[in-house]
Amino acid sequence: MASLREMQRSFAAALRDPAVTCPVLPPANLAVYRNNGTITFREALEQTFPVLRRRVGDDYFRQLSVHYRQSFPSRSGDLHWAGRDFAGFLDDYLAGGEYHWLADLARIEWARAECSISRELPSLGVDSLTGYPSEALERLVFGLQPSLHLLASAYPVYTVWLTNQVQNAPPVDQSLGSEKGMIRIRHDFIDVRKLDPAAFSFISALSSGCTLGDAMTAASLDARALTTILAFLFSEGIVSSLTLSSK
Amino acid sequence: MTRLDTRGVPRGPIPARAGIGLRSVHHDALLTDRPAVGFIEAHTENYFHEGGAAVRALLRARANYPLSLHGVGLGLGSADGVDREHLQRVKNAIARFEPVLVSEHACWGHAGGEHFNDLLPLPYTEEAVEVLARQVVEAQDFLGVQLLIENVSAYVAFEYSRLREWEFLSAVAARSGCALLLDVNNIYVSAQNLGLDPLEFIDSLPVESVREIHVAGHARNGAVLIDDHGSQVCEPVWDLYRRAIARFGAVPTLVEWDNNIPSLDTLVAEARRAELILGEVHGLAA
Repeated sequence: MASLREMQRSFAAALRDPAVTCPVLPPANLAVYRNNGTITFREALEQTFPVLRRRVGDDYFRQLSVHYRQSFPSRSGDLHWAGRDFAGFLDDYLAGGEYHWLADLARIEWARAECSISRELPSLGVDSLTGYPSEALERLVFGLQPSLHLLASAYPVYTVWLTNQVQNAPPVDQSLGSEKGMIRIRHDFIDVRKLDPAAFSFISALSSGCTLGDAMTAASLDARALTTILAFLFSEGIVSSLTLSSK
Repeated sequence: MTRLDTRGVPRGPIPARAGIGLRSVHHDALLTDRPAVGFIEAHTENYFHEGGAAVRALLRARANYPLSLHGVGLGLGSADGVDREHLQRVKNAIARFEPVLVSEHACWGHAGGEHFNDLLPLPYTEEAVEVLARQVVEAQDFLGVQLLIENVSAYVAFEYSRLREWEFLSAVAARSGCALLLDVNNIYVSAQNLGLDPLEFIDSLPVESVREIHVAGHARNGAVLIDDHGSQVCEPVWDLYRRAIARFGAVPTLVEWDNNIPSLDTLVAEARRAELILGEVHGLAA
């Protein structure tokens, strides 16, 4: 009689590959478990990547799910994390092909999934800047909402995501080129938004812990552009704390 | 092995009434309509996260109804051991949501580092009793609660099983000090698939071990019944339910409906049916 561990290793191998047979396994109905596993895993991906699925169609999505699971089987009893490596998998799977942009579309959707379980901190209004003397402003370090994701792509994936909120959307012209943007949750609404390159650079610098002055320099912002972006950050509830750097 | 006979798990009594499984599509309606159900049961893994609308909805629902947390991811019969990271998340959820019941399944779920996210079948052997009971004790000690362990639907039987399923579950309960969650639909599905007698199962389990009952619908795929929780409870399962509560007493009963999810009204009506049967059998006001 096989030990419990041997049986489970054999059962696991037979779930992965129908060709595996082993005398310690029950002869019939293993396919029920194999199908359950395939479907449960795919449904978890479908929940996380609805726009990608809509874009590629059910048949191809099914194929992607099977191949992805072979390379990145679930490592957790909580399937919410099943899609964590999907974008990286697509990077390799689609490398050099005309659909490589699907990897970045998956990044947007994974960021949305992370936003959906993220905390929302109380946000600061723009008037919170008035508590600081003007000469100290450039030393301010901004704390941004924990849900904020900043993603840059060589492809127009934000346009793809926005266009494909409806069924049967027309293909997006990939010659539109690279796009940058942000994903975050506010009042339970997950916001996916394109940003202009300067705003993206500035917010990315703030997000990495740069002072306001350093972020301005990094993004080559003039005072007028700075005012616009700061108004955006505060009015959109993206700033959750301000601290003064001692540097 | 320590017998955990002094656990005061439930932080309050759960009524001998029918509850409903909480699904995210019903979050708003449950909070607005406040239907008269005895308790709600949530899949623990759906509420592991720190934030998000689902977590807030459960915290609000928790204020109105007793809560049962029902895990599907620990696979406590896995020979590779207990996933301590997952167990810690369950502990966090218990601290946060303060459930009156905490349950898991008599199954395995991972091997060689891969999780199959399914309730995989155990052979009914002395070794499997020992592994499952030991790991139930490990989980109970860590979580600080008594677990209810549920029988799963089976599509296969291991030729070298030496115990019947009810003997297996009784032994696990006796050795670990866990209670049992009796899924009547699973008894029916397994009995149909494997040619077993569902009445023998119900009539043989120790009366004092069963603390909760599940009922659900199932699907047919050729000759095999699949436990899909995707439809109404069928009449033969209601008949088994009558038999079960006649033996085990007026036990909290949950209607599971996780696929093809109906309106909240339909789900509550199914729970109402369970309460009517509880009333018929035990003379309770339904």
